[in-house]
Amino acid sequence: MSEAVVGTRIEREDGWGKVMGETHFPADVNRPGELYGAVLRSPHAHAHIRSVNVRAAAALPGVAGVFTAENVPHNAHGVLFRDQQVLVSERVRMVGDPIAAVVAETEKVARDAIARIEVDYQILPGLFDPEEAMKPDAPALHPDSHGSSNILYHLPIRRGDVQAGWAKADVVVEQEYRTQMLDHAFLQPEAVVAYVDERGHLVVKVATQYAHYDRGEIAHALGLKYSQVRVKTMAVGGAFGGREDISLQIIAGLMAWKTGKPVKMENTRTESFLSHSKRHPMRLYYKTGATREGKLVALEAKIIGDAGAYSSWSPNVLRKAAVHATGPYEIPNVQIDSYAVLTNNPYTGAMRAFGAAQPVLAYESQMDLLAEALGLSPLEMRLRNIFQVGSVTATGQMLTSSVGMTKCLQALTPYLATKGDAS
Amino acid sequence: MNIELRVNEQDFRLVVEPDERLLDVLRERLGLIGTKEGCGEGECGACTILMDGKAVNSCLVLAAQAVGHELMTIEGVGDRLHPHPLQKSFVELGAVQCGFCTPGMILSAKALLDRNLQPSEEEIKEAMSGNLCRCTGYDKIVKAVQRAAEEVAR
Ligand code: FES
Ligand code: FES
Repeated sequence: MSEAVVGTRIEREDGWGKVMGETHFPADVNRPGELYGAVLRSPHAHAHIRSVNVRAAAALPGVAGVFTAENVPHNAHGVLFRDQQVLVSERVRMVGDPIAAVVAETEKVARDAIARIEVDYQILPGLFDPEEAMKPDAPALHPDSHGSSNILYHLPIRRGDVQAGWAKADVVVEQEYRTQMLDHAFLQPEAVVAYVDERGHLVVKVATQYAHYDRGEIAHALGLKYSQVRVKTMAVGGAFGGREDISLQIIAGLMAWKTGKPVKMENTRTESFLSHSKRHPMRLYYKTGATREGKLVALEAKIIGDAGAYSSWSPNVLRKAAVHATGPYEIPNVQIDSYAVLTNNPYTGAMRAFGAAQPVLAYESQMDLLAEALGLSPLEMRLRNIFQVGSVTATGQMLTSSVGMTKCLQALTPYLATKGDAS
Repeated sequence: MNIELRVNEQDFRLVVEPDERLLDVLRERLGLIGTKEGCGEGECGACTILMDGKAVNSCLVLAAQAVGHELMTIEGVGDRLHPHPLQKSFVELGAVQCGFCTPGMILSAKALLDRNLQPSEEEIKEAMSGNLCRCTGYDKIVKAVQRAAEEVAR
């Protein structure tokens, strides 16, 4: 790549199509003779399904097919663990879990049919607090996939000797921080068009972040060979991590494969919110110690991330949170424990920064509180601890090059002196 | 029901359902897929079109209500050989990322520039306040509208 591009403005090559309104997102694709699919989703967060009665839906004129768990050859998908069902068979674990799907001549008929499906739910008490869900006597949400505990993942990180660190600390700040659940709210709601092409291959057109994974999951769920499935990525209307998991790909593919007709599906905004992953809410318990000279000497951090109903990327996200738990500061004695915990909340997965964003609230607030306690400026507190070439991180990585933090903070100093007044 | 619509200076005779949204008629019956649906309830502005020069959410208008009005969608704003100054400035200043909000943004901006060639930053933000963008952070969109206003004024 030419270095001349750095510092210059490059026109996106897809920009012109977008400003002209020519660009095709999946909802903009139509196939002759296409049918329309819709999904029935659970209004309950935790329930046992006693029965699903689809007779009235199937009898509605214009309905071409009704699908439930028993129609899915291999009813499981997931980026790390296949712990999520394409259509739920017995146990609902979150609001929005898909129970049944209908394919019909029009969207209106498909949605009318969905409303006629009767599901007999036995509502179960939900686990909504990850710290409750962690307790050994909490009911296990995924006994088959994840065993008797709801703790999906635990990463301990140890460096030095925290007891020795506390002995050296002149000030100690202890605080609990909480971050909230967030939705990506990408502007383009999920949509899919699936059809069987002239070679007998299943083609799925979708806005995805992860086409090769989608391909594997569709093939697996439908019992097809990898080579029988093609995933075509259309224009993606924002994603921010929220399109890394399967949304409608398998359901649309299944219905196209079984009916032999092109099938289009579009989420409403409400369905979009109900069905895709969220950012992990985290609870961060921080205890940080520093000497009178403003040098950090010890950190104990416990981070609990709410994985929601399915694992998605939770282990990786909580790993990243743990690895970033000290912030860009050198701390010789560290004890970090990071957990991902299954609950009946919406499932959480990838979202911009992938777990590195939440700990910032904790470690930077701690720095401000320590600075205040020591009578130092927040800037000075950071300059005295920030990573340098030669620093060793909590995970034991020696930083050998490209550590520009001090320079960066120095460049910001005049701005900070204005107390945030950029003018 | 039978209706006539005038879209991008062309007349169309159509048979539509009485409860059919203008958005669906444009997209499904006329194939004008540049108009997008992001929410279906007047929140996001992705479905913005011009009706007699004013920006409206086509998801909140019935097709039958558009009879007798002059409609413009993104397809009528410009083409690759003759781009509107807004289309140029959006590309050149990086105001387009995923592009899903872009047609609606450009039409809201066009409604503004067609009546005010020297909008202040506040006026631009006000005129675009019904259009959500999740990618850009809006800054470049405001700059692109300012740049286009200068070009149109010239
Ligand atoms: S789709 Fe019309 S305002 Fe969102
Ligand atoms: S560019 Fe993606 S929503 Fe605006």
